[in-house]
Amino acid sequence: METFVIGLSIASILFMVALGLAIIYGTMSVINLAHGEMVMIGAYTTVLATKHLGFNIYLCLPLAFVVTATFGLIIERTVVRRLYGRLLDTLLATWGIALILQQLIRIHFGLGLFGIEIEGLGSDLQNVPVPAELQQAIRLFGANIPVYRAFVFAAALALGAVTWLLMFRTRFGSQLRAVSVARNTAAACGINDKRVNMLAFAYGSGLAGIAGVLVSGFKTVSPDMGTPYVVDAFLVVVAGGVGHLLGTFASAGILGEVQSFVATWANDVYGRTVLFAVVIFILLFKPQGLFVTKSR
Amino acid sequence: MTYRTASIIAYVVFFAVVLALPLVLNSFWTNRVAIYLVYSICAIGISMSWGYAGILSLGQGLFFGMGAYMLAMSLTLAVPENNPVPQLMLLNMEPNAVRDLCCVTTGSFLWIPFRSIAVGMIAGIVVPCILAAGIGYVMFKRRTTGVYVSIITLAFALIGQMLIVNNQPLTGGFNGLADLALLEIAGFEFDPYGPSAYYAVAFTLIAVILLARYMLTGRIGQVLKAIREDEARARYLGYDVENYKLFIFCVSAGVAGLAGMLFTLTSEFATPSLMATSLSISMVIWAATGGRASLLGACIGALIVNFVGSLASESATFQPVWPIILGLLFVFVVLFMPNGIAGIFKAFIERSGNAGKAEGFAETKLSAREV
Repeated sequence: METFVIGLSIASILFMVALGLAIIYGTMSVINLAHGEMVMIGAYTTVLATKHLGFNIYLCLPLAFVVTATFGLIIERTVVRRLYGRLLDTLLATWGIALILQQLIRIHFGLGLFGIEIEGLGSDLQNVPVPAELQQAIRLFGANIPVYRAFVFAAALALGAVTWLLMFRTRFGSQLRAVSVARNTAAACGINDKRVNMLAFAYGSGLAGIAGVLVSGFKTVSPDMGTPYVVDAFLVVVAGGVGHLLGTFASAGILGEVQSFVATWANDVYGRTVLFAVVIFILLFKPQGLFVTKSR
Repeated sequence: MTYRTASIIAYVVFFAVVLALPLVLNSFWTNRVAIYLVYSICAIGISMSWGYAGILSLGQGLFFGMGAYMLAMSLTLAVPENNPVPQLMLLNMEPNAVRDLCCVTTGSFLWIPFRSIAVGMIAGIVVPCILAAGIGYVMFKRRTTGVYVSIITLAFALIGQMLIVNNQPLTGGFNGLADLALLEIAGFEFDPYGPSAYYAVAFTLIAVILLARYMLTGRIGQVLKAIREDEARARYLGYDVENYKLFIFCVSAGVAGLAGMLFTLTSEFATPSLMATSLSISMVIWAATGGRASLLGACIGALIVNFVGSLASESATFQPVWPIILGLLFVFVVLFMPNGIAGIFKAFIERSGNAGKAEGFAETKLSAREV
């Protein structure tokens, strides 16, 4: 039961990171390797806001969303916009951006070169204080459930719901779906596809930022923390079927649980190894993903 | 001057410079440049599979690292203190285990063949090839293409790295294999800081370039380029696309394994970081900077990026900024020079050759191919 709950929280984080990536990859065919750095920036936003502004972790959620969405917007406008249609090149360019962002944190946005250091930045590991009410555990079905993990799960569900509403109940959502199915036709119908791209990229990055806030509550924060997330999340996206919200949700759930159970049974490394093996298997035998609908 | 003449001159000049360098370098720099030449060989491997066949492998570090480990295992056993059982295994064994290589730690019998240096050297190429054949067979027979190939190879490299870190009693774990013996073949010892190891690397590099060029300018290269441009069309024309891709993927893995062995020779260690994602992607960037579809370009790209990188890490001011410069270089190369240095070279030669009839010169984006 404890293992199951840990698996749920791994899955929740995976889901939030993967959701943003799925929107970006599904809509624009851009592989954003800087997505993990959005998680990292979200986590550092939390570190800085709790240290310097006295924010608690709840207030950090919207703040991190805004900060990382802004970063996403800048990345889209400066680099990604020029690379539409060149899938592998987006992968390389965004890896470059990831390197830059990591190093910016390490050198205090460049101020470190002039001897100015901001507390909370730099190459050291950082920790974020978690409010007392989230540190307790509740007993459920004879197992101790840490409240924080439940909170993470609830946040993931809420974000999933918000994204679903956004995608299927708003004007922007229908434009986004139109662009991802047939970009040129959508543009010909008067949809400003460049603007849709830009907003989708920013929204996806923002989701990763929120995931970053939640990650910072139970993991140490460091400049290179993002890389594992982007790889795992990308695997979740392709395993679930590109462009399918529900597929991403289900595959994040499955992969999170697989990782958690194998990690408890053997160790963390085998947990990740089995996770990769499962995804490779899925990719080889169902390259369209597990949950893709046959309608198209 | 035609482009063909110019590129032959470029090759000759490059070979001459590579061969002459030890005459002017001190032992520290001889060693450094030898390592950069090792990286060049990696970049050639990338150029063969990515530039020619369009297979972007992000797991090249896996093959590189395996090559390095194979030779490092042999060289570990060649140290007298590591007989009959390597120190790293003695540190990690169960208290009452038999002190023999067959069973001192779980899986230690895998080391037995590596008592022979020759086995280590052959395994350094053959094992990566076999592994690539396995991965490639499943991938290409399932018609996995494009970015999925990149992600699958990336995942394999991550698995490899994690398994090596995790199996400390067998592999030395995070610290890898260090304190190696010097490679000695028929009484001749390769000194990593002297010209001997340098020339071993340099001659291998030249041989790899010439063989690869011979192979890729021939029929195989033409078919691979056809596959890169349009896989379905090549298939309809009757070419066995899967086998061609499998072949070049294995060759590229073998080249990476060879480079890995030479890395062990020149740096005297093998660690799991050789399989890290960042190194695999860096290799791709070296090739992209020099020109992804140009063997010589990829070589020069690796040399320049690494040389500038090590200059930057010498200076206290530039050292923290270097990753940022590197990141900007990635972005810049991808955005503004998709054919790298070789593409610029080609454009320059063709422009000067066609000075009178410049109007007729219309270069498409991807036409600057092999130098």
